[in-house]
Amino acid sequence: MSFNLFKAARAFTAVASFSVVASLGSPVVAETAWKPSGPVNVVMHTKPGGTADIFIRTLAQSLEPMIGQPIVVVNAPGAGGATQMAHVSQAKPDGVTIGINTMSHFTSMLTNLKGTFSVDDFSWIASTQEDPIIYFVRTDSEIKSLSDLVAKAKASSGTINIGGFGPVGSMQHLGTAMLESAAGVKFNWVGFDSTPDIMTALLGGHVDVGVSNLGPTAPFFESKRIIGLGVLGEKRLNGLPDVPTFGEQGYKVDTSWVQVRGVFGPKDMPLELQQQIADAIHEAMKAKTYQDYARSTGVIDSWMGPKEYDAFVRDVSKIATKQLEAAGLLQ
Amino acid sequence: MIENLLSGFSAFGDPLVWLSLIFGSLVGYLIGAIPGLGPSLGVALLIPFTYGLDPVVSIVGLVALYAAAEYGGAITAILINSPGTSAAVATAWDGYPLSQQGKAGEALLVSIVTSGIGIFISALFLLFTAVPLSEFALRFGPGEYFALALVGLSLVVGLAEGSVVKGAVAMGIGLALATVGLDTQTGTPRFAASVELFEGLPLVPVLLGLYALSEVLFLVEEGVTAKIKSAPLGGWRTWNWKGLWSLNGVVFRSSVLGYIIGIIPGAGASIASFIAYAVAKKTSKTPERFGKGSIEGVAASEAANNAAVSGAMAPLLALGIPGSPTTAVMIGALMIQGIQPGPLLFSRNPEIPYTIFASLWIGVPVMVFIGLAGARAWAHVANIPGPAIAAIVAGICLVGAYASEGTMFPVYVMTAFGILGYLLRKLQVPLAPIILALVLGEMMETNFRRALITSHGSLEIFYTSPLTVALLLTAILAFALPAVGFIRKRRRAAMAADPSV
Repeated sequence: MSFNLFKAARAFTAVASFSVVASLGSPVVAETAWKPSGPVNVVMHTKPGGTADIFIRTLAQSLEPMIGQPIVVVNAPGAGGATQMAHVSQAKPDGVTIGINTMSHFTSMLTNLKGTFSVDDFSWIASTQEDPIIYFVRTDSEIKSLSDLVAKAKASSGTINIGGFGPVGSMQHLGTAMLESAAGVKFNWVGFDSTPDIMTALLGGHVDVGVSNLGPTAPFFESKRIIGLGVLGEKRLNGLPDVPTFGEQGYKVDTSWVQVRGVFGPKDMPLELQQQIADAIHEAMKAKTYQDYARSTGVIDSWMGPKEYDAFVRDVSKIATKQLEAAGLLQ
Repeated sequence: MIENLLSGFSAFGDPLVWLSLIFGSLVGYLIGAIPGLGPSLGVALLIPFTYGLDPVVSIVGLVALYAAAEYGGAITAILINSPGTSAAVATAWDGYPLSQQGKAGEALLVSIVTSGIGIFISALFLLFTAVPLSEFALRFGPGEYFALALVGLSLVVGLAEGSVVKGAVAMGIGLALATVGLDTQTGTPRFAASVELFEGLPLVPVLLGLYALSEVLFLVEEGVTAKIKSAPLGGWRTWNWKGLWSLNGVVFRSSVLGYIIGIIPGAGASIASFIAYAVAKKTSKTPERFGKGSIEGVAASEAANNAAVSGAMAPLLALGIPGSPTTAVMIGALMIQGIQPGPLLFSRNPEIPYTIFASLWIGVPVMVFIGLAGARAWAHVANIPGPAIAAIVAGICLVGAYASEGTMFPVYVMTAFGILGYLLRKLQVPLAPIILALVLGEMMETNFRRALITSHGSLEIFYTSPLTVALLLTAILAFALPAVGFIRKRRRAAMAADPSV
C-alpha cells in the first residue's frame, strides 16, 4: 500500500516538476549515458524523513530529468538494515533497483548480520557524501578541548559519559574507541537511538560529551549552546572552521573513519553500467538544488566511482574489523 | 509578539495557503484513517509536493496534515476496533463499545470535536510556553524517562477490567514481548530468531492483530446476529450540545496533559492519551462506565493525542529538537526549504513559528468540518452486517500490516497476534495492559539501563533528582492505591460473610 502511494506520489511529482520545468522554458538538461529501462527503485533502510532519505529525495529532483525516468523511493526499514539489503540483493543487476548505504551497513555485516550478508553480496557503485563525526560539549562545560577531555578522563578513570548514536560497536562508538586507544584513556559510552535524543541529553546535562554530524548540530553551534572539541577527519569542516581535527590536537586516528552515504546494487552488475550510474548520480549532484541542500546540511560531496568505492568499502571493513576486535566485539 | 502573530495570520490572505491547509487536512484525515499509515508517513509523502512551494505555504499544509492524521486514527478505532496507531488505542477502549451500542455517530462526533478543542487549547499554550517549557523538558534525562514510563505502566492497574491477576499477567506478557529485538546498548540480538525481529516486534501489526483480527474471529464465531442499528447523526440542531458541554473539564485537563507530555521529546501522543484516559477515569463521576462505552473516555484520549501535536511542536520550534517522529520528518521538510529549525528560528524566520500557531488555530475549524462531514458517512459503516464487516476488517488488517513495512513479515506477525488476541479475550485477559507494556517496556528498559550507565552503576540517579523522585512516588501510589482498595474490599467481604468478627 505504502509502495503504491509512494509510487503515485513520486510519479505525480515527476510529472508536476516536469511540467514546471517545461513551463519555465526548459533549462539545459545534461544527457547521461545511463538510460534505465524503467522507473528506478531506490531502496532505503530508513523510514521516510531520515537524513539518508532526504538525500535521495533531493537528488531525485535533478537526476530524474537527466535519466528520463522517475525515481521511486522505496522505504524498507527494519531488521537493522537487513530488510533493505535483502530487497537489493534479490533484484536483477540491471540498475533499476539500487540502494543507499551508510557506514552502518559495513559494521552490521561484521556483527549482527554476519553470515546473512557480506560485502561480496553487493556491487558498490558510488560514494556521494562524506560526513565526518564531531565531538562537542555544552558551552558552559569545563571541558574546552580534546586535551581537557583526555585529562579529565584520566583523572576520573572512565567516568566521562559520551553520548552518541547506536549501541557499542556502532560507527560513532568505534570512532570513540579510536580516540580511546590514541589517547590511552577510557570513556563511558551511552548509546542513543536518534540524534535529537543525543542533543536533548547533552543540553540537559545528562551526558558530558556528544557525538554527531554537522547537519543536525549546526544550529546549536550557531546559537552558541555547544562548542566543538574536535573533528574526526582529514581536514577541518568548512561549516565549522574553528574546530580543529583530532590530528591537529595530537591524537592520531584513522581519518577515513567518516560517515559515508553511497549507492549500491545487487552483485554481478556490469562494471560499465555501474560507471554509468555513478556518473549520472555525480552529475546530478552538481545541480543547484542539490548543492544548496548539501551546503546547508554541512555534508561533503564525495565522488568515488565503482572501482574506488569498492576498494574503500573493503578498506573500511578492515578498519572496522580491527576496531571491533580491539573492543572485544568479534568472536 | 502580537505583531508577529498578526503576520502569521496575515499569511492566510494568500489563497494558496488556504488551499494548502485544506489539502493537508484532507490527506491527513484519509491517511490517518488507514491502519498502517500514519502522520509521519503522511508528512513524508507530502514533502515532495512542497519542493517548489513557498516555505509558509508548505509548512501550513504539513501542520494541517499532521493534526488531521493524528485525529484520523480515531475513525477506525471507533468503528472497527482497529486503532491504526498506538495513540488511538485508548480511543478504541470506549469508542468501539459505543459503536456496538449503536452510538457510532455520537462517538465520532465527540472524537472530532474534542480533537479540535485539544488542538485549539494546546496551540494557545504553545504560543506562550513553547520556549520555557522546552527548556524545562531538557531536564528529563534517562532517570526521569524511566520514572515517567513507570508512571504510565502503573496506570495499567487502574485500567485493568475485572481480575487484577489477569491484568498483571497481561502486563507481564507485554513486558516480555518488549524485550524482543536488538539490545539497544550492546547490540546483542535477544529472542530474535530471524533478522526481521532485530528492531523488536513491529507495533502496527501487533495492534492490528490483537484488536482488529481478534474481533474478526469473534464476528466469525458469532455468525449472523441481529445488530443494534446505529443511530444516524442528524443535523447540528439535534446534537447533544449539553452532553458535549459537560465534557469541558475532561477535555481541558486532557489537553493540558497531552500538551505537556507531548513537549517531552521521549514521550508522545500514545503516552499522552493513556495517561489522560487514566486521569479521566480517576476523576470521573462514573468511572465504572470506562471501557464499556464512556463518552468521557473517547474525549480524554482524543483531546490528549491531538494536544500532543502542539506539544511536539514546542521543542521543534524552540530548540530544533523534534518532539515526535512526525516532527522529525518535518525538520527534514524545513531544511529542504532552507530553513533551519532551532534556537535561532524565532529571530531569523519568525514567520515560520507564527504561521504554525496560526495554522493550528485556523486548521481546527477546517479539520472539524471535514471530520463532521466524514462522520455522517462513516457512521453507516457500523451498520454493515457482521459477516461483511469481518471480511472488510480482515482485508484492512492484511493490507495495513503489509503497508507498514512493505514486506510479508508484518503480515505473519499480525496473524499470530490475531490468534493470540482471540485466545486471550476468550480467557478474559485484558488486552490494554499488553499494548501499554509493549509501548512503555522498551522506553523503561532502555532508559533504566542508560541511567545506570551514566551513573556508572549507582542507583543514586533514581533518588537524587527531585523530578525522578516525584514521578516514582506517583507511580508507587498508582500501584499501591488500587491494591489497598482491593484488600479492603476483600476484608469487608469477609466481615460481611462472617458477622461474628
